[in-house]
Amino acid sequence: MSQAVIKKDAIKKDNPTLQLVGKTLLYIVLISVALFTLVPFVWMISSSLKLDREVFAYPMKWIPETFRWENYVLIWQKVPMVTYFKNTAFIALVVTCLQTLTSSFAAYAFAKLNFKGRDVLFLAYIATIAVPWQAYMLPQFIMMRSMGLYDTLWAMVVLQAFSAFGVFLMRQFYQGVPTELCEAARIDGLSEYGIWARIMLPLSKAAIATLVIFTFVNTWNDYMGPMIYLTRDVNKTIQVGLRRFIQENSSDYHLIMAASLVSLLPVSVVFLCLQKYFIEGIATSGLKG
Amino acid sequence: MKKMLTLVLALMMALTMIGAASADEVLTVVTWDATTTPYLIAQEAAFEAANPGVDLQYIDVASQDYAIKVGTMLSGGDTSDVVMVKEITDIVNWSGAGYATSLNDYIAAENYDLSGFVGMEANYAFDGVQYALPFRSDFWVLFYNKDLFDAAGVAYPTNDMTWDQYAELAKTMTSEGVYGTHYHTWLSAVANWAVCDGVNTLVDGEYSDLAYFYNLYQGLEDAGACMAYNELKASGLHYSAAFANGNVAMMPMGYWYVSTLIGYNNDGTCNFNWGITAVPHADGVAAGSSFGNLTGVMVNEKAANKDLAWKYVAWLCGEEGAAATASTGSRPAWVSENVAGAMSSVAGFPADEASKAALLPSYVAVEMPAADRVSEISTIVNEEHTMIMTREIDIDEGIEEMNERFAELFE
Amino acid sequence: MAQTAAKKSGRPMSKLERKNTLIAYSFLAPNFLGFAIFTLVPVVFSVLLSFVEWNGGAMTQMKWVGLENYADIFKIEKVIEKFADGEFFYFFERVDLGIALKNTIFYTIITVPMTLICAIALAMALNKAVKGAVAFRTIFFFPYVASMVAICVCWNFMLMKDGPVNQLIQLFGIPFNKSWTADSTMAMWAIILVSVWRNMGYYMIIYLAALQGVPRELYEAATVDGANKWQQFTNITLPQLQPTTFFASIMMIISCFKIFDVVAIMTEGGPGRSTKMLVYYIYDVAFKQNKYGLASAISMVLLVIVLIVTIIQFSSEKKFAND
Repeated sequence: MSQAVIKKDAIKKDNPTLQLVGKTLLYIVLISVALFTLVPFVWMISSSLKLDREVFAYPMKWIPETFRWENYVLIWQKVPMVTYFKNTAFIALVVTCLQTLTSSFAAYAFAKLNFKGRDVLFLAYIATIAVPWQAYMLPQFIMMRSMGLYDTLWAMVVLQAFSAFGVFLMRQFYQGVPTELCEAARIDGLSEYGIWARIMLPLSKAAIATLVIFTFVNTWNDYMGPMIYLTRDVNKTIQVGLRRFIQENSSDYHLIMAASLVSLLPVSVVFLCLQKYFIEGIATSGLKG
Repeated sequence: MKKMLTLVLALMMALTMIGAASADEVLTVVTWDATTTPYLIAQEAAFEAANPGVDLQYIDVASQDYAIKVGTMLSGGDTSDVVMVKEITDIVNWSGAGYATSLNDYIAAENYDLSGFVGMEANYAFDGVQYALPFRSDFWVLFYNKDLFDAAGVAYPTNDMTWDQYAELAKTMTSEGVYGTHYHTWLSAVANWAVCDGVNTLVDGEYSDLAYFYNLYQGLEDAGACMAYNELKASGLHYSAAFANGNVAMMPMGYWYVSTLIGYNNDGTCNFNWGITAVPHADGVAAGSSFGNLTGVMVNEKAANKDLAWKYVAWLCGEEGAAATASTGSRPAWVSENVAGAMSSVAGFPADEASKAALLPSYVAVEMPAADRVSEISTIVNEEHTMIMTREIDIDEGIEEMNERFAELFE
Repeated sequence: MAQTAAKKSGRPMSKLERKNTLIAYSFLAPNFLGFAIFTLVPVVFSVLLSFVEWNGGAMTQMKWVGLENYADIFKIEKVIEKFADGEFFYFFERVDLGIALKNTIFYTIITVPMTLICAIALAMALNKAVKGAVAFRTIFFFPYVASMVAICVCWNFMLMKDGPVNQLIQLFGIPFNKSWTADSTMAMWAIILVSVWRNMGYYMIIYLAALQGVPRELYEAATVDGANKWQQFTNITLPQLQPTTFFASIMMIISCFKIFDVVAIMTEGGPGRSTKMLVYYIYDVAFKQNKYGLASAISMVLLVIVLIVTIIQFSSEKKFAND
């Protein structure tokens, strides 16, 4: 590097006021965007601890005068929230397990094995990612109904457990794993199943975390699927149940907000626990283009 | 699974038939939620008591998809005797497909009295053929908060108010923190009243008759006599809570809300006195005219025992069946002094004479009658309804839009 | 090419190859069976369904109507007639499908750039060595994992006439005083606002990953040439991010065309038809009007649009790969 540049850099480094202004501005922007992002959640928390008529009081108070924690007890008595939670947890857990397992299995074949019809099959998978679910939800609905799956939790399971997206994501990741590793293992006498279990799985933690978050979050938050498929109250999921709660207790804004907040908790926990892997997963898999 | 169930059910039926020898006649009635609906249980008991030797059996079909599932059953040649009609469109489809027996001969032979239906039976008649009769009807009435009227020293609403008098009353009752009236966001709560004259319908393609009611509504909204539609819509406030909160003097709503209110009184959700009157009437329309929804029964064309089926239909829809229905707090279609008496004796029902008199409507139109492409028409009028209510367009433009889009639909 | 094909088909599989193929299939089977039954078959079936008239009852009640469903949703005769009369935009102004298309396209072309601009800006900011970057990153991303029902209800309340958002904009002297969802114009912006708010964090993370792949030397070289920060951004950062931007915008366009939840919960397509979008329209026709054939025909329109976008992506991906 030439002297001039170093000097220029030095000048820049030596101007602490300018740097300070820049930094401050940056933080102001970041903090205000963070506030914008969080405002609905803060409002949700604040409203959930108020009396119903305080929610829309003008001018609004962000901090309630008295914290009404009993709101969080009330919601469990008003609607069968426990049932909704159980149903959603069941669907989300089964779907996530099935999805992760079968996807990583299939992805291994697509990424590391040679077999007849591989490319054609993979194309079929890719093509259906592009097809919006809404385009084929009707025939799917009719099929499920004739199979007797309508208004059962298993309808939601089979609907979401075999998505092409999971296979695609895992394959992208496995392709990044050097093939030599597999070759070496084969020479050592490991079967393909062994390679998958002992080498691929341990290596793909980030990708699995990504898939787990995506699947869990999507299943937990899915609204249209359960709305179409689940009708009896004993089968409803938290999203549809929440909607019902809102419609039936429409003037209890404080309870609506409390129930909404409670419905967010499990997803938040999963996300916060896995987020480190998740971000790594997005960065290393094909998702960034 | 479901097939298995039907099979088991059929087997059980066959067994009971053998077991009971020929002593019992079996009458099968297709319906929904048979084990949980109080009026069905009461009707069954009353009918069997009145007709010894008849065994009434319900075929329970899931209430969602009722139309589709029953349609499939009937197209497969099901021989159940009686089929309950959930929506008017169902009877249109089923009579069109030849699944419903004409009741004309039975009615003529017995000289069966139709006057208690106050016009409702016409919704089940096509080209002069009566295919079904109504046994339940939830028509609309006006609810009011007696405590608020007492506090303001204003006389209660009456059964023969006109809409203009009602609007005046609503404005009188409006004060700090109290709304004179409340309209739920539905089209039926605001403008469906135009059909009460028995001439207009929501499917005739001509909607200028709604203008009067939209003007009335906007006048009240501007005067602050009711909550603004926009706020109601955004907040999603439900009518049951709106009235139960106790700051609304009047509210037109379906009869079903009576049982909700009685429940609220019992569990302490609300603790004020309330009453009902007939909904107001327009000039030139008889007092006590309203609209509502119907539930009916038809006789299956392939019924195993048609005469018994008719016997049941005639009983269920007439005075005696109505008494059984009314005993559970549900609103029978049949209108009579006795029925009104039975209904008003339900615990928690307001004790005054005016509320009881509101149970005797002079005419009940149907909210949305059967028609070609009725679901699309419903979408159109409801979409334009939201445009008028949010004041995105003015009333005349909105009605013009309804007319135009209706015309476009049938081009 | 022809040679390899001949080689493949002409030569019988060796024992080893057969065994390998079997192993591969055993890996695939669990996923593929579910995938084929519950996705592949319905996809094929949906194409057929768009040519029949059916109310969802017994299968025997299906009636083959050919292209009638398509003529019906496009109101083809009427549109041509009006076109001849000089009413060129009749389709987008009066026909349900046209309105839904217009709304969906408007929503897409506003939402996609807005989200991407926010995402790049946030990613750039966080790419600097800021304190608490992880916390910020988590906060920005959080809306993406929150459930739509809870979010939309919350936003609906916040966008009410006297809600916090209107109170805020009135501080800036903007005299808007109406519930957003009750206004034909603002209802659409409410949906856009919620979409951008929800998605920007997700795309920010994608950009963050991409930014880490931009070689440092490029910036150093630019500094030598005396380029200022803005010039560096437009001349280095943006071009380097181009593949990511392209990928992200394609993904977003597709997901924007599929928007349903926000519409169903916040506006129900209203007021009037002002936020009626393609999928909400399909839902309405299928599950409220019970016209399954007609609804499938509308789905096919959505399918064609998404396929076109995907094909553009694939062909351009090759271009990027060759660059």
